[in-house]
Amino acid sequence: MNEILIIARKELLSVVRERRVLFNTLVLPILIMPLLMFGPILLFGNAARQTQESVQKVGVVGVPAAVLEELRKARLEPVQIADPQTAVQNREVQAALVFENGRYTLYGRLSRGTASQSALVVGKVQAALRAYKDRVVAEQLRARGIGPDILEPFSIETKDASSAQEQAAGVFAFLIPFFLVMFIQSGGMPVALDATAGEKEKGTLEALLAAPVPLSQILLGKGLAVFVMSMLSTIASLVGLLLSGGVVRNFLAGRLQTLQSIQGGGGEVQLGGGLALDPLGYLSILLTAVLFALLIIAVLISLGLYARTFKEAQSYTGLLSLFTIIPILFLQFSDFLKLQDWFFALPIVNVVLAMDVIVRGAATATQLLTTWAATLAYAGLAVYLAYRSFQREDVVFRN
Amino acid sequence: MIEVVDLQKSYQKTQAVRGISFRVQPGEVYGLLGPNGAGKTTTLRMLATLLKPTGGSAKVAGFDVVRQPLEVRRNLGIVNGGMKVYDKLTGYEVLDFFGSFYDLWGPKLKERIAWAAELLHIEPSVLSKQVRQMSTGMQQKIVIARAILHQPQVLLLDEATAGLDVFARRALLDFVRQYAGLGKTLVYSTHVMSEAEEVCDRVGFIDHGLLVFEGSLQEALELGSGSLERAFIRRLEQAA
Repeated sequence: MNEILIIARKELLSVVRERRVLFNTLVLPILIMPLLMFGPILLFGNAARQTQESVQKVGVVGVPAAVLEELRKARLEPVQIADPQTAVQNREVQAALVFENGRYTLYGRLSRGTASQSALVVGKVQAALRAYKDRVVAEQLRARGIGPDILEPFSIETKDASSAQEQAAGVFAFLIPFFLVMFIQSGGMPVALDATAGEKEKGTLEALLAAPVPLSQILLGKGLAVFVMSMLSTIASLVGLLLSGGVVRNFLAGRLQTLQSIQGGGGEVQLGGGLALDPLGYLSILLTAVLFALLIIAVLISLGLYARTFKEAQSYTGLLSLFTIIPILFLQFSDFLKLQDWFFALPIVNVVLAMDVIVRGAATATQLLTTWAATLAYAGLAVYLAYRSFQREDVVFRN
Repeated sequence: MIEVVDLQKSYQKTQAVRGISFRVQPGEVYGLLGPNGAGKTTTLRMLATLLKPTGGSAKVAGFDVVRQPLEVRRNLGIVNGGMKVYDKLTGYEVLDFFGSFYDLWGPKLKERIAWAAELLHIEPSVLSKQVRQMSTGMQQKIVIARAILHQPQVLLLDEATAGLDVFARRALLDFVRQYAGLGKTLVYSTHVMSEAEEVCDRVGFIDHGLLVFEGSLQEALELGSGSLERAFIRRLEQAA
């Protein structure tokens, strides 16, 4: 046990001396999380608000004067153009409106969905046309002695019935498992590779192997150091995530509401980025993260030992990252899946799914126990393989 | 003391060491001399329990290298030319790290570090520098200090002067004789004949995994008409 701690301490001391690694592992996650989580949305929200408030040119062809007036009221500047398609394509105008044979046709650059200025201007034109249409309909109904209420025989209200945990996590629920998994991996990676492939490459491993320490203890010592860094990095990323979630909820909610209204989201959309779990939920997340860390650390150490150089090891771990990212990408659509219990026995997929259901407060005992048992088994197998690799002369002296 | 009997090491299609035998007594420096790829490093790695022999046997300080690897390592130090120590740690931290595996702590550790530093001409102030800030020669001295900190009965030096400047090389050769003078058993593996001539009591010529000559330095010099290099070339040509 003593030797394990001595080796772990040495590995951590080496990390502490490497300020770049320390910064990337512990400080960067706290700084980068708000940017990753909310930066693009806030930026887009800001741009959307500016688009709403400023005046944009809209190309018009054959549009009646009353509608032109409506456009001006909506902070749009109608300009006569010859070819709406070309004018929008060439960005002479952000949108173009053509009235022909009793039909309005609206042109915009819509290939990027709602994330373009043109799409926002199209939204403004649509809103202006709707307002004009509603007014015309109301006037015509009034001329016939009918109140405009007839158009709305009932009102519609959408209520969010998701759990408190789901509301806290909000639309970013899937990002929480994503960041947990990514930071467990990325936090441990530099230490794992430096302690294995790095040691082989630098010629320090042989001196360590010649010391009177069993291989198993060397492996556990290195694993412990990787585990510590991995967990610290994950905690840093969670702190960044929760801080940024709190900041947005408390200080930037208004800006995001603008975005939601422009995008036409129904009901109250929970931005989230927070966790509202009971102690058991937090413990479940912690246990899942720890077991996943054990698995990933053992795999990283095996790959690092196998590689001749640090660079070669990095190329292997790049592939490993793909294996963890793919299940996370599918997680976005997990709501459309009918979750089967056996999904929770699949390596990596189970961890991502388990974290997702824990964050949403929807985890069942079977799902969690299957995940933990399976991950523990995979981690045990990976540790065994790492140990066997360490025993192989052709692997250890492969450089 | 080292006893090697018919030691062999085979890889899938290669026989790196094809059955060599030799003994080294305490207080003796044994030169294991051979060209690159002759099997010197493989032999020393087997003695250091880093590689498992595929045949024969070897004992280091009375312990079997296969059955008692931890006991062997407790009584052995090894240095090779490519061996390095952790460059982000200070010299002192490196020695503290390795010393702790041999139960060297506190005052005892300090005493041993001072002893090794004096033997290797390391200024105490240098030990507070990170290894990466040291010269190549000083880094190699730290590598050696690490290997002798526990005052092992057996010290294996494999191309230990590789990359050293003339001063560091001189200090190392002086150290070899001094350490043998303490009654320790040394194997000095090199392909530089002048070094072997200077420090070894007995020599063995190894080629293609076989020991083709073994005898005292005097016997080897006689074989080469006063030149160890000539003796080495003659013997290897005869064996070919």
